[in-house]
Amino acid sequence: MALTEQDGYDERLQEFTGREVLQPRPGPDPVNVPMIRHWVEAMGDRNPIYLDETAARETGRAGIVAPASMTQAWTMPGYAATAARQDDGSGLGGLIALLAEGGYTSVVATDSEFAFHRELVVGDHVGVRETVESISPEKRTALGAGRFVTTRRTYLDQHGEVVAEQRWRMLWFRPEQPQAPKALRPRPAVNRDNAFWFEAAREHRLVIQRCSGCAALRHPPGPCCPRCGSYDWDTAEASGRGRVHSFVVSHHPRHPAFESPYLVALVELEEGTRLVANLVGVTPEEVVIDMPVALEWLDPDPGLTLPAFRPVTP
Amino acid sequence: MSGLSGRAAIAGIGATEFSKDSGRSELRLACEAVLAAVADAGLRPSDVDGMVTFTADSSSEIHIARSTGIGELRFFSRVPHGGGAACGTVQQAAMAVATGVAEVVVCYRAFNERSGHRFGLGRADAPSGAGADDAAFSWVSPFGLFTPAQWVAMFARRYMHEYKATTEDFGRVAVVDRKHAAVNPAAWFHGRPITLADHQASRWIAEPLRLLDCCQESDGGQALVVVSAERARDLPHPPALVLAAGQGSGADQHMMTSYYRQDITGIPEMGLVGRQLYGQSGLGPADVDAAILYDHFTPLVLPQLEELGFCGRGEARHFIADGHLEVGGRLPVNTHGGQLGEAYIHGMNGIAEAVRLVRGTSVNQPPSVRHVLVTAGTGVPTSGLILGAGR
Amino acid sequence: MRSRTYEEVTVGETLPVLPVPLTRTLIVATAIASRDYQDVHHDPGLAVERGSKDVFMNILTTNGLIDRYVTEWAGPAAEVKAIKIRLGAPNYPGDTMVLTGAVTAKHDEDHRVEIAVRGDNGLGAHVTGVVAVRLPRGEEP
Repeated sequence: MALTEQDGYDERLQEFTGREVLQPRPGPDPVNVPMIRHWVEAMGDRNPIYLDETAARETGRAGIVAPASMTQAWTMPGYAATAARQDDGSGLGGLIALLAEGGYTSVVATDSEFAFHRELVVGDHVGVRETVESISPEKRTALGAGRFVTTRRTYLDQHGEVVAEQRWRMLWFRPEQPQAPKALRPRPAVNRDNAFWFEAAREHRLVIQRCSGCAALRHPPGPCCPRCGSYDWDTAEASGRGRVHSFVVSHHPRHPAFESPYLVALVELEEGTRLVANLVGVTPEEVVIDMPVALEWLDPDPGLTLPAFRPVTP
Repeated sequence: MSGLSGRAAIAGIGATEFSKDSGRSELRLACEAVLAAVADAGLRPSDVDGMVTFTADSSSEIHIARSTGIGELRFFSRVPHGGGAACGTVQQAAMAVATGVAEVVVCYRAFNERSGHRFGLGRADAPSGAGADDAAFSWVSPFGLFTPAQWVAMFARRYMHEYKATTEDFGRVAVVDRKHAAVNPAAWFHGRPITLADHQASRWIAEPLRLLDCCQESDGGQALVVVSAERARDLPHPPALVLAAGQGSGADQHMMTSYYRQDITGIPEMGLVGRQLYGQSGLGPADVDAAILYDHFTPLVLPQLEELGFCGRGEARHFIADGHLEVGGRLPVNTHGGQLGEAYIHGMNGIAEAVRLVRGTSVNQPPSVRHVLVTAGTGVPTSGLILGAGR
Repeated sequence: MRSRTYEEVTVGETLPVLPVPLTRTLIVATAIASRDYQDVHHDPGLAVERGSKDVFMNILTTNGLIDRYVTEWAGPAAEVKAIKIRLGAPNYPGDTMVLTGAVTAKHDEDHRVEIAVRGDNGLGAHVTGVVAVRLPRGEEP
């Protein structure tokens, strides 16, 4: 995938170093109050000198000025050019195509170093000239393999006078394979006999079915009491304390929703019933049969809440 | 002795080859196995008037009867709960011929369990309906406990804890099975015995289970022909009399996850089966000359020995370590190589081996085998047989 | 809004902490206000395709927020002379960026003050940088 030196790719890239890739041209609009208003509203900037003539003059200025940080915005190409995938205003022209040839199709800005020579006032028409300072060798980054392209941008007014200078660095990178959406755990088959338990779990309550006839606790639940035959039941809230009756360390097969190896335990609650749940906060080597554990809650997937247990000191 | 004991016999056995990829449909495997068994019994397809299989089988008896020229069927039945059904199919057939409901009943099981749907990969992504059977898995699957090996591992860990057993004790079951398989040309592991060190070096699947604790997922089919004892005596092979046939579902039974009983180190449903087998046959553990013990995973072979009275509770590891499962031992076990060494055909290939032991034709034939005990799937409602030579 | 004078500022002085809730609307609105129509700043699906976990704030907005943060403290009379920033962890929707700053230098010759600024989000430092502002002298009106 990566183009090698034999391809002469690096040399072709380096030909851009020192080259002026964007001749100065005025931005689409001169400095104007409506665009400033959009900017300061979105930024939450309440500095009055950007919209209020009087307030601006009170600071010794001749009138409204544009925010310094907005300088670059005046030279942005806008929606149509971006949608048409024309030169995106970074002014890199043919360099973008060459980077794309190398697979560097994604871009993020990493550094911006602005020096402002004067404040922009309404009516200024700002253009920008851009020169490539350097193109880095391929680097591994958190986003993927990429190259840092550093340019020098010089902002000029309608008279050709420099109003600001900017060193600008972008990372052009090959995006890593998009991550597959997170795999979901196997879903419980929820029906009329067990729904109450999973609903309580969503409220982070561990309940145990309790016979209304003889008060026997039972888990897994069922519609009928095996002891007295009653179909009537309510629930008891478990203390959440128990012991590891047995456990499994699962290695294979791997399931994308679980990070192997993972721990599944059979926990005996102090109320006397048992349930299967994951162990957290403990390594497989540390688990021993009968170790005391306490309830926690896992919310692994949307709509799925499950009890889990963490070792505690007795 | 019950009314069933000695009334029926297995007169024919037939199987496909056992492989990792049959290249054929499950129905075709079933047809091949059924026709082979019928031929082995010296019968014609049109003699068959009854068929029994597992609820888990994908090929209903109608497709096989239609395809093989069996034609009309007077008796057909299915037995649930996965591998727990194996000996149950013979029980159904024996009851049918003993009562005159049918005369020639074929029991069969055929699947592409390796190249098709592998049980070992688990039911994580199985569709889940609102029925009780699917809902039962809600208590395990969301926590990542969704394969047979994992389910068994939970029992195995507690067993180790209570009886000071080790993974080497499980490994010895794999070693003896593979030793038997090594001389069985039909076995997947023909010519490939293992050592205990090999077992201990194999990778973890679901601790405390290693790869070599797990059976050989296989493609293949196995069929058995059951007729009355009288008719069997007129057929080519020495009859393997059904001296006892029982099913068992224990108290507080779950499918592979009976974790909620006071004690989870035993297999009470197998104890129930054993009591029936001995009660029906009038035999006891000391009368059993060889056994085919269901071995989808090694750890559950140990409590089977205990439940069936071959040794005391928690003593199976010593019984095994003392060499009693070997051909020269007190109780030769899984002389075909078992499902660990020959093939995993849901226990049906083990019944065929029991027939060979009674016939005296096993590749690992111990001297003077009169009674062979066979078990079906463990962890599930199960079944068992005692087969014997004609008396 | 009062303006700070050069004399009243001391090196080491810290700016009030400013938390900026990073709503999805803020990220999209500021991208559009800065005329940045790159899809990664407004289209979650395409952002994921390009290797991001979601849309993220554009650098022009980071500049704008830093500018706002410092001039809110300095007051309307301040003139921004430089903004130098380096970006780190992206600003994703649902997070909060907390801006902090401290005066690091004063330059008497042009009554310029340098402020080191950083913005931290849940992933780490989103931005570190330096802003220079020229402040009015105390004796000026």
